[in-house]
Amino acid sequence: MIQTIDILLLAHAAFGVTGCLAAFWAFIEALNAQPGNASRIKTAAWITAFCMAASWICGGYWYVHFYPAEKALILKGPWPLAHNFFMETKEHLFFATAILAFLLPLITREKLYANAAARKLVLSASALIVITGMAVEGAGAVIDHGVKVALLPNHSK
Amino acid sequence: MTSGTLDKTTSGFVLAAAVTILFNTALALAKDVSASLTAGMKQLTGHHWTTHGIADLILFLVLGFIFSQTRLGSKLGANAVTAILIGSVIVASLGLAIWYVFV
Repeated sequence: MIQTIDILLLAHAAFGVTGCLAAFWAFIEALNAQPGNASRIKTAAWITAFCMAASWICGGYWYVHFYPAEKALILKGPWPLAHNFFMETKEHLFFATAILAFLLPLITREKLYANAAARKLVLSASALIVITGMAVEGAGAVIDHGVKVALLPNHSK
Repeated sequence: MTSGTLDKTTSGFVLAAAVTILFNTALALAKDVSASLTAGMKQLTGHHWTTHGIADLILFLVLGFIFSQTRLGSKLGANAVTAILIGSVIVASLGLAIWYVFV
């Protein structure tokens, strides 16, 4: 049976990936900025910000309330680096991704089709969201695997 | 493409984001070094990570308004604030990764 803890964790990852995809959408639209796609760029930026906020809330609640038990398992298992490196980096790098995501709707207010500097800024910020966001997603997969190998009795032998 | 400038709010918040991202890494390292700082942050909201996130958000908003009003970002120029943002993310990300490799 799927429990709240599972829904929170899966929603955290799903919102994170959707936020990255929305940032990538903003990046692609900004590459070809015109008056006709200005509203789509703003929509993509707001979806990015919303998804990262939702990912923060879901992941944060799960991390604070449910992660300590998984952390104990990881540290006793064969992959302690899943916590010591991947979770420690992920839980702090995520804040940088989120701040960039909240910045994106602000900077897409500029007329990108008429402003090369603003276009360059939006391209940079959206690319950084995708890169850091995917790094955080990848770290999440390693953390999950750290729990899995800790629970497989034959894996550590 | 004719204009090459950013409005004061845009450039102010870009600069605020760069400073906040660097502050975020500095605070993460400081928490690792200082158990009393981590304990103090835990007391504020129940978990040091929650306090950390709230501190980042407040700093981003406050600095954004200050830098917008003082036009600090505008004075630096559009290309400079973009370069500062990119540089801050690279330094902050590598800083976190290198720290947790060796600590």
